[in-house]
Amino acid sequence: MTLVTLAIATGFALVLIGLLGALTDRNILRMIVAFTIANTGVNLVLIGVGMLPGRTAPILDEAVSVAQAAARIVDPVPQALVLTAIVIGLGVTALMLAYALRLHQTRHSLDIRTFTELKW
Amino acid sequence: MIRTFFVVLLLLGLGAVFAGLMVGYTPDAELNATARYYADNTAADTGAANIVTAIIVTYRGLDTLGEVTVLFLTAAIVALVLAAGREKDPASRIAPPPAGELLTTGSRLLAPLILLLGVYVFANGHLTPGGGFQGGAILASAVLLLLLTDPLRHFGHRLISVVESLSGFIYVLIGVAGVVLAGGFLDNRILPLGDFGALLSAGAIPVIYTLIGLKVGAEFASMLVSLSETEEPR
Amino acid sequence: MVSAIFILAIGLGAAFLLGLLRDTWRGLAYALTLAALAAMSWIAGSWLVALAGGLGPVEIRTAGFAPPFAIALRMGLPEAALSLLISLTGLLSAVYMRGTLMRLGRRAMAVLLIAVMALVGIVLTRDAFNLFVFLELTVIATGGLVLLSADPRALGAGFKYLVVAQVISILLLVGVIFAYHATGSLNIDDMAAANLVTLKGGAIAFFLMFVAVVAELKPFPANGWALDIYESAHPAFSAILSAALSAAALIAADKMLSIGGPEWLPVASSLGLVSFLGANILALAQDNDRRLLGYSSIGQVGLVLVVLGQRDILGASTPFIAGGLLLAHAVAKAGFYWLSGLVQGRSLMDWTALRGHPVLIFAFVTFVALLLGLPPFPGFYAKWGLVHALAADGRYLVLGLILLGSLIESGYLMRWFGYIIKRPQVDLPPLPSLSKRAVVLTAVAAGWALGWIWGEISGYPNLLLSIPLLFALGFLFIEWLPAWVKNLVAIAGLGAWFWYTFPGYDPLHLIYAAIILVGGAVILVASFDAKGRRVGFYPPAMLMYAGLSMLILAQDSFAFFAAWEYLTIGSYFLILRGKKSEPHALSYILFSLGGAFAILAGLALGAQGVLPFDVADLAKAPARLAPWIFALLAIGFMTKTAAIGLHIWLPGAHAEAETDVSPMVSGILLKAGLFGLTLLLMIMGKQSLYGIELTYVMLWIGALSALVGNLLAAFQEDAKRLLAYSSIGQMGYALFGLAMMNHLGWLMALMFVINHYIYKSMLFLSVGGVAKRTGTRDMYRMGGLITLMPLSFIAVLIGIIAVSGVPPLSGFGGRWIFYNAIMSSEYRLPMVLIFLSGPIAFLYLFRLIHTIFLGQLKDEHRKLKEAPLWLILPQMLYVAFLLGFAVVPGLALRHVDAYISEFFPAHALIWDDITITSTFGYWSPISIMVVVGCIFAVLFLWLLVLNHRAQKVKQFNIVYSAERPFRPETTHFAWNFFAPYRKALGFMTLPLVTRFWQAQTDLLHSTAQVSRRFYTGNGQTYAVHMLAFAVAVYLIWMGS
Repeated sequence: MTLVTLAIATGFALVLIGLLGALTDRNILRMIVAFTIANTGVNLVLIGVGMLPGRTAPILDEAVSVAQAAARIVDPVPQALVLTAIVIGLGVTALMLAYALRLHQTRHSLDIRTFTELKW
Repeated sequence: MIRTFFVVLLLLGLGAVFAGLMVGYTPDAELNATARYYADNTAADTGAANIVTAIIVTYRGLDTLGEVTVLFLTAAIVALVLAAGREKDPASRIAPPPAGELLTTGSRLLAPLILLLGVYVFANGHLTPGGGFQGGAILASAVLLLLLTDPLRHFGHRLISVVESLSGFIYVLIGVAGVVLAGGFLDNRILPLGDFGALLSAGAIPVIYTLIGLKVGAEFASMLVSLSETEEPR
Repeated sequence: MVSAIFILAIGLGAAFLLGLLRDTWRGLAYALTLAALAAMSWIAGSWLVALAGGLGPVEIRTAGFAPPFAIALRMGLPEAALSLLISLTGLLSAVYMRGTLMRLGRRAMAVLLIAVMALVGIVLTRDAFNLFVFLELTVIATGGLVLLSADPRALGAGFKYLVVAQVISILLLVGVIFAYHATGSLNIDDMAAANLVTLKGGAIAFFLMFVAVVAELKPFPANGWALDIYESAHPAFSAILSAALSAAALIAADKMLSIGGPEWLPVASSLGLVSFLGANILALAQDNDRRLLGYSSIGQVGLVLVVLGQRDILGASTPFIAGGLLLAHAVAKAGFYWLSGLVQGRSLMDWTALRGHPVLIFAFVTFVALLLGLPPFPGFYAKWGLVHALAADGRYLVLGLILLGSLIESGYLMRWFGYIIKRPQVDLPPLPSLSKRAVVLTAVAAGWALGWIWGEISGYPNLLLSIPLLFALGFLFIEWLPAWVKNLVAIAGLGAWFWYTFPGYDPLHLIYAAIILVGGAVILVASFDAKGRRVGFYPPAMLMYAGLSMLILAQDSFAFFAAWEYLTIGSYFLILRGKKSEPHALSYILFSLGGAFAILAGLALGAQGVLPFDVADLAKAPARLAPWIFALLAIGFMTKTAAIGLHIWLPGAHAEAETDVSPMVSGILLKAGLFGLTLLLMIMGKQSLYGIELTYVMLWIGALSALVGNLLAAFQEDAKRLLAYSSIGQMGYALFGLAMMNHLGWLMALMFVINHYIYKSMLFLSVGGVAKRTGTRDMYRMGGLITLMPLSFIAVLIGIIAVSGVPPLSGFGGRWIFYNAIMSSEYRLPMVLIFLSGPIAFLYLFRLIHTIFLGQLKDEHRKLKEAPLWLILPQMLYVAFLLGFAVVPGLALRHVDAYISEFFPAHALIWDDITITSTFGYWSPISIMVVVGCIFAVLFLWLLVLNHRAQKVKQFNIVYSAERPFRPETTHFAWNFFAPYRKALGFMTLPLVTRFWQAQTDLLHSTAQVSRRFYTGNGQTYAVHMLAFAVAVYLIWMGS
């Protein structure tokens, strides 16, 4: 197994572990943490997919000239995407935390089963 | 129990989907056409040495504007959510035990340095690893440190909000300037590309990254302050 | 023109700018928000105008580089329309939410602006990852806007939404990155061009992207989270969610489908169908208004997804059809949610508050019509096109399920409307807010405008511009006038239209035209009796007449079906006006719409995709399909004539209607069904299905309708119900006559058309007049009214003579032709039934005279007066006409006879001056009149002589002779008058048909009640649903 496939496999494993936590643990804070784990897994997959074995970071400097760039750098696109993905994940996490705080303030509970007054 | 079993079963299904992806995946030996274009043309197109930065700020600038907006949105909503729960006025908050001498002194020493590092990171985003988001996060960590030292410290909401909004607004204006003066929304060539590798080069990229750095710093700071001002219900 | 990127830039810039304002300058912040939304709408609108004017789609490059290296946007016609929809919805919702936004301040306004911006971004972008960014922006903004609600439960709903959104975003992101890896591009068009699904690993990557985007459509059943938001969010936000977010998500799904190619279209169709049916069934069990609307939204979005999935056969008409359905849904649903903010309670019954606010009621009706795809709204054109394409391609299952879902949807929406009009009014008046009402009315105006636009681009004559319809709609604007003025206008309108169209009719059509227009005007004379303004009567009444008059003029199938829908809707509103008519009106509209769908399917099968389709071309239908087309159309028309099995709506609907409405819906409206049957048989002739001749089946249906209708009429206590059941029998006769498919049968049927109009209108008016005076419709509560209401008595007497077909009136002419017709055909067995039902008619007709006008006068009726003049007047006209028609039936019939000879040359009658001769004998109306007159005079004199010494018996001498009975009516001689017959024939009157239909609706309702438990309210469970949905789609896709 190469490093790339290992990274992707680990990423997927993290996603599954994160989802397992998020879908079985009833504490909403733990759910949020679990989703963070899953998001990390996704980010790892993103980076892994952009990896080209044996290449270097996509920054042009003394080490990598413009002419050599195409042969020496990894795919820069996933690296750009992952930044966006991280920030978005962060935003959603912050939002969920704020929600969790308010839910706890109003209902004094962090159990997801508490908030089922809307149903059917 | 049944539920956990069912979830595990579903995750196995999802795992099968992922496995299918893995099976169908072979790492590229060469860059694909898009990446190849970036490798060959970034320097000429944008004048940025950090290709990822060029992609983030220029090529896929719209994504990044969206990303900044996500943070802005989150900060606004967090403030909204928490404002609804805040009942007592800040003056009546019970003071926590004072922070230790070490933390107080350390943060006084470190905060300016951290701020400086943050500025360095986002100002050099087009040349070295780093950029506006990283730099902004570093800026906010200085605020976090100060909050840890004195949770009751009063931060100027107004200042944070003005920095946040103004940098965002100028960001949009720069984008619009791209439509008017150059090839399209967020085109960095509204400013001269300058000498490749210099601090003041790559057109509008350093400007944008500075704005992003300030904005992200302000947004994180605003979220932290909002959270710190929230009372635990007694 | 301003670049479309400015829609995004303005939204964002304004949102950021808001942060610069002081928190206390809320008025300024609000003004800035509105200005930004208005500017966004204006840009989108200017693009829409330019693109509609012929400009091609424009690609917008960001950063100055070509895709896929930089993100590209595209502004085409669909994008412009949806951008306008989204930004306008945002603008109107901002106006609507003024109070909330001002309270929460600039942050809330910024979130709203960004939400609208992000939705437009989803519409415009051509980049897969950019799509993800905008979707996430939408998710986060939704998480914020949910909090605008005053409902504390919204907090939980928002959290559930975020949980599910996390699952969706994980799937989408993984899909996007692998799709990028497979194609080397993030551009959607590149992915489509590279044929992503055929690449290694590409299919699964596509599956993940697709399922994530479809999840944003809130597909049934993985949508509990969405319903909770719909239920608890601020109504103006729910409007955005339902109208704008659905639109954006649908266009995103469309982009995905453009990548997936034909292989994925059936998947989209199936998911859409499941959503459409499932959500509509579950909506049946909802009592909360906003949750019900949420289900309806999900259903509608599912329907549009079906359309997107059928693009392989819809081709270039896809945007027209999908757009029609989507825009109609968006405007209606936004309007509904805005309206729900005016209503203060959350139960469906709380909407009774709207009663007494005609403008709001009109808004409600407009929204219902938009949603159900009734003419002249865009959904009608869209469904028309969709059904035709499906029928032409043989996708009958999809076609059937769509029609079934639509019927269920109309079930709960119409039921709701019935509640509003009829249930006890709650004590919570609608909010008086002018700005909110203005927003609702804007949606109404937008709905009508869309109707006009879709009419213009449909390629058909614009439905909205037909004169009868405009005339009917015109009454909406003169509702403030007193009823008698409107009545005059209505009568004049009917007359003028008859005079104007008169030259164009052949004899057959002339009969129907005369009944509808002249007959309608005569019935309207009775409407002068109404006092006050009678709000809500004339628009639907004239809509019904408009539909009827357009029906007989219709040449192509489109005009025919549109007219059919008009008359159905108009009559529904009319029937609903009756005091206790709510359940009956509901069953009427459901049967009618069901019948209309059968007609639609039949026409579509006949057209085979060739549009416009002349109804007469049904004759050229392929032999394989012809019997099916015939059956569908016949079922549709027989629903309207209330043939046995499809009749259960009629008694209640006709009996509970207002006094002057009963004759309209009985005397005139039933003829629409007969007209349809006449056309059908004339065009398609005899058809056999699996060796059974369908006209023979109709013959049996007609005979059974006649028998059972008459029998049931005989056992009624309620005079109007009696008349209503008698209509079922009468229509059975007419159906029988038509189905005989020979000259005399047709002549008889047309005779029935005329006769039934006259005597049924007359009887309903006279019985209605009596009921009005006595305050009851139960016949045993009446009696001895002959002296108090002599004119009504005469009308009833003449009427029943005419109905029963005894000499000398025209009914006898009908019978005479009828017996001749039967003699000339070979259908012996159904003939026996028809003969049998004749005497039964005597039984119930006799009661009308006997129980109401003869016998003892009740004490409480001693001071009654004759029925109002305006009710008597048309009755006297009918009496005169019946007498005249009895003497010279040839006046009308000989032309028709000649006309029918074109189709059935054999057995034509010979019309001499005063005698009519057939193969079996002759009929001389005048001599019959003389003979009968003599017999009557002799018998009458003899009676006078005999009665000379009769002893008068006092009333109540039985009742007071013993203890007071528990149910006094049981001692009345007229109660359960035909008990012996009931004992013998009662088995035929068991409500088997009612039970059958009841069982169907019960089944649907219990399905809905059971399956709604699926939505436990637990956010985690919803996330599991979502994951299960994804895995299920994967397994099904793998399997296929």
